[in-house]
Amino acid sequence: MDLHQFSEWLSSTPLSQLIQVTTWAIPGIQTIHIISLALVFASALVFSLRIAGHGLASEPLHLLAARFTRAIWWLLLLLLLSGTLLIVAEPGRTITNPVFYAKMLMLAVVIAVTLWLSAVARRQFERPSGLHVFMAAVSILLWIGIMFAGRFIAYVESN
Amino acid sequence: MIQSFFEWLQSTSLAVVVGESWFPWVESAHVVCLALVAGTIFTVDARLIGFASRQLRFTYVSDRLLPWTWGAFIGAAITGSLMFMANATTYAANIPFRFKMVLLLLAGINMLYFQFVTFRSVNSWDAGTPAPAARLAGLLSIVLWCGVIGCGRWVGFV
Repeated sequence: MDLHQFSEWLSSTPLSQLIQVTTWAIPGIQTIHIISLALVFASALVFSLRIAGHGLASEPLHLLAARFTRAIWWLLLLLLLSGTLLIVAEPGRTITNPVFYAKMLMLAVVIAVTLWLSAVARRQFERPSGLHVFMAAVSILLWIGIMFAGRFIAYVESN
Repeated sequence: MIQSFFEWLQSTSLAVVVGESWFPWVESAHVVCLALVAGTIFTVDARLIGFASRQLRFTYVSDRLLPWTWGAFIGAAITGSLMFMANATTYAANIPFRFKMVLLLLAGINMLYFQFVTFRSVNSWDAGTPAPAARLAGLLSIVLWCGVIGCGRWVGFV
C-alpha cells in the first residue's frame, strides 16, 4: 500500500467521514490546535528567554524549566491529538505533501533541542553557556518555521 | 461611502500584490504574531487567575511578558490589515470577521477596565491570589481571546 492508497483508505474510515460531515469540526479542531500552539510558543519563548537571562529572570532556572517544559509536553500531546484528527479528516492534504514532512522534521528537531535544554536547565548548578543560549534561539526559530510550514500546507500542492 | 473606501483599498497596488503573491507569507507571519499575542496573554492571565506562577508577583510577570505581547500585537495588526486590504469588501461582509472585530473590541474594553479600575488595588493582591475582579478579568480575557482565534479560523470557512 503506497501513501496515496493509505490516504484514500484513511479518508474512507468512519472517523474521517464523521469529521468531514460535521460542519464545525475542522475549524473547531484547528482552533484548539492554534490555541495549544500559542501556549507552546509562549512557553518555549519564556523558557528560552530565561536561559538567556531575560524574561522571568527572578525565578531560579531549574524551577522555571521544570514548570514550563512540563507545560510544553502536555500541550504537544494536545497538538499531536488535534493534528492527528486533522490528518484523519483530510489525509490528501497532508500525507502526500512535502511541506508536512518538513514540518514534522522541524518538530522532531525542536523536541530533541528542548529535551536537551530541559536536562541542562534542571541541573541547577550548571550555568547556561553561549551554546545553550544559541540553541534556545534555534528552538524559537524552529517553532516559527513549524508555524510557517503549517500554514503553507494549505498552499503547496500535494504530490 | 465606506463600501467605496473598501473598493478603493483593495484596488491599491499594495493590496493587489498581497492578494497575488504575498498572501501565504503574510498569513503565516500573522499566525506567528497571534500565537505570541495569545500565548503571552494566556500566561499572564494564568497568573492573574491565580492558576500558575503564583510564586512571582503579578506585576513582575506582566511587566516582563506584556512588552512581547504588544510587539507581537503590532505585527498581527499590520499583517491582519494587509490581508484585509487584499479582499476588503469580502471580509467586511464576512460574519465571522465581524464577530472577530467585536470580540477584539471587548478584549480591549476588558483590558482598559482592568488597567484603570481593578489594577488600582494591585498592591493588596500583587503577591498572592488576585482580587475576585482581577481574576474575573483574567478569565474573561482567556474566553475572549479564544473567541478571537476561533472566529479568525472560521473566517476562512464561509
